[in-house]
Amino acid sequence: MKKKAYLGIDIGSISTKGVIIDEDNQFLAECYLWTEGNPTEATKKVLHSLEQQFDGDSYRIVSSGTTGSARKLVGSMIGAHVVKNEITAHAVGTTTLHPDVRTILEIGGQDSKIICVENGVAVDYAMNTLCAAGTGAFLSSQAHRLGVEVEEFGEIALKAKKAAPIAARCTVFAESDLVHKLQVGCPKEEIIAGLCKAVAGNYLNNVAKGKKIAAPVVFQGGVSKNAGVVHMFEEELGMPVLVDEKGHLMGAFGIAVLAKEQQDESEFSFDVAEMEFKTREITCGKCANHCEIICVYRDGQLIDSWGNRCDNGAVKNVV
Amino acid sequence: MEIKIDDRKKIAFPRINHYGYAIRYIVEQALGAEYVLLPPATKRTTELGSRYSPDYACAPFKHSLGSLIEALEAGADVLVETGGLCRLDYYGALQKEIIRELGYQCEFINLAEYMGGKKSEWLKLAKKLSPKLKPAKFTTGAYEGIKMAEHLDEIEAAYYQNAAFETEKGSYKKAYRQFLLKMQTAENRQEIRDGYQEVKQAFDEIETRIPEHPVRIGIVGEYFTIMDGHSNQFLQEKLVNLGASVYRFLNVTNCHFRAKEPALRPRIREYADYSMGPTTTWTVNAALDYAKQGFDGIVHVKSFGCTPEMDAIPVLQNISKDHHIPVLYLSYDTQESDTGLDTRLEAFYDMLERKKKVLR
Repeated sequence: MKKKAYLGIDIGSISTKGVIIDEDNQFLAECYLWTEGNPTEATKKVLHSLEQQFDGDSYRIVSSGTTGSARKLVGSMIGAHVVKNEITAHAVGTTTLHPDVRTILEIGGQDSKIICVENGVAVDYAMNTLCAAGTGAFLSSQAHRLGVEVEEFGEIALKAKKAAPIAARCTVFAESDLVHKLQVGCPKEEIIAGLCKAVAGNYLNNVAKGKKIAAPVVFQGGVSKNAGVVHMFEEELGMPVLVDEKGHLMGAFGIAVLAKEQQDESEFSFDVAEMEFKTREITCGKCANHCEIICVYRDGQLIDSWGNRCDNGAVKNVV
Repeated sequence: MEIKIDDRKKIAFPRINHYGYAIRYIVEQALGAEYVLLPPATKRTTELGSRYSPDYACAPFKHSLGSLIEALEAGADVLVETGGLCRLDYYGALQKEIIRELGYQCEFINLAEYMGGKKSEWLKLAKKLSPKLKPAKFTTGAYEGIKMAEHLDEIEAAYYQNAAFETEKGSYKKAYRQFLLKMQTAENRQEIRDGYQEVKQAFDEIETRIPEHPVRIGIVGEYFTIMDGHSNQFLQEKLVNLGASVYRFLNVTNCHFRAKEPALRPRIREYADYSMGPTTTWTVNAALDYAKQGFDGIVHVKSFGCTPEMDAIPVLQNISKDHHIPVLYLSYDTQESDTGLDTRLEAFYDMLERKKKVLR
């Protein structure tokens, strides 16, 4: 009898992550690559890579889940058992790996969120609203301006004796501050340290405003790989901030755990990676709402559709 | 052959939730004029409204301007816009100018000019709209219209509180839709009463399976956006579909006919000593009520840039801290996509549900 395994895929706007876990939540296979604007292709690549690492002789995948911004599309593509938002997936993943965690900080490519945990379950969360100030996108655009790679940011920031004060509230203000500091001859590392400080400050003043941050704190998302920001968080909060080496896979891990929790099991086959998937956008003309209806085809056959606001736009003949 | 031309004035009011039906009743049955009842708002309404609005105006301004323009296209001669306790009081004057500049020929009645004025002015206005007006008929008609608004609110509340637990999917919605259709066409008191009693009975007969500890969510926030489904992207419907029992204190009945602001204020003394704005007292009072009743979560709804409701946020944060109840803050402009909202609501509901499972 083969042992049971569970698949989780997290398709974000920037990167796509996949993991396979066993019943004791141990990683059997993992993969991380860029989405490059094509979630179906990225998913296929992830599945290929997972299949190579996976020991198909002693395990079988009985349940699967998808999360991230393309969760619905990929969910119907691979026939996922669970399709859940990334906030829930991250909370479940982190509390499974770190049962004693109280606060989860997360800064990704375009969004940032905070999740408060009590007794191993999320009790409150907040997410950034209108703009992407203080996220990974902000840091990489500023790195470009300074002519350094964003991956080196952390190391450079740690070398600085002090951080240059930079307004963090709005990217436009931050940029004019940055230009000004450069012109008065501020050393580059101090400016980079200032940017890291600005990200931490912006996060604590906006997303985490009004939330109680209790230790232990876990920091996740792409920006957590930046040692400078981690250092600034530790300084501002006055407590250690833990960065998990599997932090980038937490969403995929969380959704795999959720796939394990649900009861309905059926064997997953890697064959979907070979099938051809196409999506078509149709503008419904039945009222002035003009809903954009997304139709997903597998090998030319319609398998799912969504996007209609009323029954008039419901696409029939879905298999 | 003599051709009878309907010389009644065609009156229109911006859409707001289901209240168009009650306003139609008052205009047609009490005032004796004709009402331009618009079909549900669409993307086009919002587009029209945003195109001709100043960018800094809040979303309710854009939605109501869109409605008014659509009403003109449908043949309205008289547009009515209301006043209020915030920027809304100025909106009538501004919308009047915008509609004039667009070249439409119509009468524009800005109720803000009458609010706080003499009663005789109101009577003059009614006489102007309907020269053959009989005051006795007007009084009974207006009363019946108000009754209809109360029924609409009561049935809507019952719908959102229970619809998530029906065993046969869609049965609540079916009964609710039939009720709305009846209110849309009701012409006398008996028809209103019949429609109301039928839906009450229909709701009673629907089989439900209510879990022992259902997830209950209270909605608080700004007057227009919170009530108008099109403006809040059908927030309550979305929460019902996720499986929650959804409560909303703020509606016309509770706001204008029952709970007056000075009566509510002593109840929130712990958090606010004075009225902070048009609906802030209702927001804080309802949130506090939900927290004390052990609700699982609160959703705060406002249009982007709504200052009075922004002032309510720190108070809500205090309530959230004191009573350990999570609050989700939503800010609306004229969005197109539902994706961001869906993600946030799903995450909020999941969190409340998991919390319930683990902590119980």
